Amino acid sequence: MITLGEFALWIALPVTIWGMVLGFVGGRTQRGDLVLSAERSVYAVTFLLALASAGVIAAFLGDRFEYWYVASYSNRELETFYKVAGLWAGQRGSLLFWAVLLSVFSSITMAMNRRRNREFMPYVAGVLQTILAFFVIVLLFADVNPFERLGFTPANGQGLNPQLQNYWMSIHPPTLYLGFTAFTIPFAFAVAALLNGRLDARWIQLTRKWTLLSWFFLSVGIILGMRWAYEELGWGGYWFWDPVENASLLPWLTATAFLHSIMIQENRGMLKVWNMSLVLLTFLLTVFATFLTRSGLIESVHSFAQELRIAYIFLSFMGLVLGGSIVLIVYRLPSLQSENRIESFLSRESAFLFNNLILLGAAFAVFWGTIFPLVAEGVTGQAVSVGPPFFQKVNFPIGLALLALAGIGPVIAWRRATRRNLQKNFLTPVVTAVAAAAALWLMGARHPLALTTWGIGVFVLVIIATEFWKGTRARARIEGEGVARALYHLVARNRRRWGGYIVHVGMVMVFMAFAGAAYNVDVRQHMVPGDTVTVSSPFGHEYKLTYQGLSVSSGRAQRNLLWQAIALVSVEEDGRSLGNMTTEKRMYTTSEQWMTEVGIRSSGLEDLYLILSAVDDLQGALNADSSAQGIDLQVLVKPLVGWIWLGGLILAGGSLISLWPSSERRRLEARREEAEEPVPAGVS
Amino acid sequence: MPFVFGAVLVTLAIVLFLLQPVTKGLHASLEREEDELTETEARKRVALLALRDVEYDFLSGKLDEQDYRSLKGELTAEALAALEADEEARSPGTGALAELEAEIAAARAEMQGGVPCEVCGFTNAVASRFCSACGSPLPAPATG
Repeated sequence: MITLGEFALWIALPVTIWGMVLGFVGGRTQRGDLVLSAERSVYAVTFLLALASAGVIAAFLGDRFEYWYVASYSNRELETFYKVAGLWAGQRGSLLFWAVLLSVFSSITMAMNRRRNREFMPYVAGVLQTILAFFVIVLLFADVNPFERLGFTPANGQGLNPQLQNYWMSIHPPTLYLGFTAFTIPFAFAVAALLNGRLDARWIQLTRKWTLLSWFFLSVGIILGMRWAYEELGWGGYWFWDPVENASLLPWLTATAFLHSIMIQENRGMLKVWNMSLVLLTFLLTVFATFLTRSGLIESVHSFAQELRIAYIFLSFMGLVLGGSIVLIVYRLPSLQSENRIESFLSRESAFLFNNLILLGAAFAVFWGTIFPLVAEGVTGQAVSVGPPFFQKVNFPIGLALLALAGIGPVIAWRRATRRNLQKNFLTPVVTAVAAAAALWLMGARHPLALTTWGIGVFVLVIIATEFWKGTRARARIEGEGVARALYHLVARNRRRWGGYIVHVGMVMVFMAFAGAAYNVDVRQHMVPGDTVTVSSPFGHEYKLTYQGLSVSSGRAQRNLLWQAIALVSVEEDGRSLGNMTTEKRMYTTSEQWMTEVGIRSSGLEDLYLILSAVDDLQGALNADSSAQGIDLQVLVKPLVGWIWLGGLILAGGSLISLWPSSERRRLEARREEAEEPVPAGVS
Repeated sequence: MPFVFGAVLVTLAIVLFLLQPVTKGLHASLEREEDELTETEARKRVALLALRDVEYDFLSGKLDEQDYRSLKGELTAEALAALEADEEARSPGTGALAELEAEIAAARAEMQGGVPCEVCGFTNAVASRFCSACGSPLPAPATG
């Protein structure tokens, strides 16, 4: 099975090249047989890469430590679940995983378009096979072949990094990779449109859902990553502006910009070059993210590789994509003329445009902050680091402006807004927002940036709620429906609009949660059993924490665990007992450093977060010395953190609503399948 | 040698699968779907969509009547020009005005906001009491 997998990876190379050549040649010469063969090659590659992945998993499950990759990321004691996840635990496997996900998406695209959009498909197949060929080449020739053998068979593997042995970690990378790879499909259609010259809104309609799907996975993946960092890294934060986090944020920012700007192209026939560029840029950034994560160029918690050859291959590929894209866009420039222009600074068009500029501005700032240390080190030879303060300073105002636009966009008039339009729509939300900020100020929240964020958040929420209310009321009145039914029909009839609003609600929650960090409480105290520490929450109540003692046991929770030292802390809130919390130090057989497991207690408004910062006399504690019980306990109160996860859920729900095919469209498609003749694409 | 057997099988299957279209002359369709918008059609579509949005914004109370009238007047003129240009491009003729009216009525009906006239079928704005086209009284809006 393993050898067959390795063999399949080699066979995949000629098949991708075959598909690439036949796709482009078949499209150019309009030969249906060549195109059919190219399309079949996509299915064939999917099969081969699945076989290769199965081979890697089989090597993990069979403890085949003669393979370098298995020996480096697994050992006999590792749980079966993490052995399967070994496919994406390290650089080599995750490159294969990237390729196999892309091939699956490519096959789905081929299958969905067997009878439709035929003029695009030769080039789509060609582009997808080119990208797949690139990944197969990387896997085979960049010293990252997951099937590479050691000269000998070690008795056991080195095991998986304990920080990665966490359930969030086992779904965070695949989700993110789904997002990265799904964006290749819009890219392929965009290039196909540039090649075949069909540059009306068609390619946008074809790829909108794929973009949304990719965006959905990216968002969920990023939030899962934040959750992982929050639970597992043990320093109380969820985002550190780490290069790899930034790398996943970059395509998210440009994809978000694209999702907004296509509305302008669909409604007003503007921004065609801009949209095309955004797709190409987003795709490049997904490759860049993989490159950054998996080439070891920038050191971070995520980067494990040191090889340089892969860096050159990736850079050449990105250069090729960038150059090719620019040439194609310039070549098609005459067909990408705007049908309209923006009439006024105060209009929905310009709100969309500002949204795009802001998102791109943020992307640029993050990109620059991420690669600046590299460039600086390359030029001066000195290591420079760009820390979180830079990113926070730059991105905070950007985020606030973006948040405000989420409120302004939906209600400002198209073309140009008059003063009456602004008054009519903005008076109530602005007054409510100011009142809410004033109320918070009176309640003691004096942090200016946090107050601004919450005020703007309320402004957006009022506008969205009003939109929902007005729409539902109008529908209930006209159709004579009850409120619940009217709301359901309202959303069902235009899922894209209302799903989008729900996504905005989720984003508002996330932003409000970020602002809550201004009120973080952080207390660190040395304690012996019986000691008490009192911490005041920004919401007014008091936590009384009593340290009960340290218990040391040999690991039971996981098989690779050597020992765990658990500090037991009992918690009272305003005199009412909340039970016990624990925080631990753990030592794994596979790691030389101990790990910290934090204790988290969430209520709707805030999290109580305990970190066992240090143990006075670890050796004594391990030997069950009853006097060796002193610890350093760090107690954090983190207001509103839970809203990030809640906001993430709302955001995911909203994008699923937008993604769900509308009933009319399904009917249309059913009819199309029956009649087997082209139906003009409706405006969805 | 299960490996050799498997490898040969996989290779053969793939080669056959890929070569079959060329040897057997199987073709994938490459037909271009003729739903591409011409320049004038695209302009027409954009103008009509803009009209639809203004209608929506008015019906959902985002535009007041004065703004609505001024924007709509302007957009109608634009749409008319776009329609005439499109007619002109296809075949020189008339009837653009009628088509515009029909398109506007359809756009309104699509909004689900309109009140259709029982006499002439024209779709009127919400809460209209008389038809804007023929003047007949309209049914009272349903409540509940």
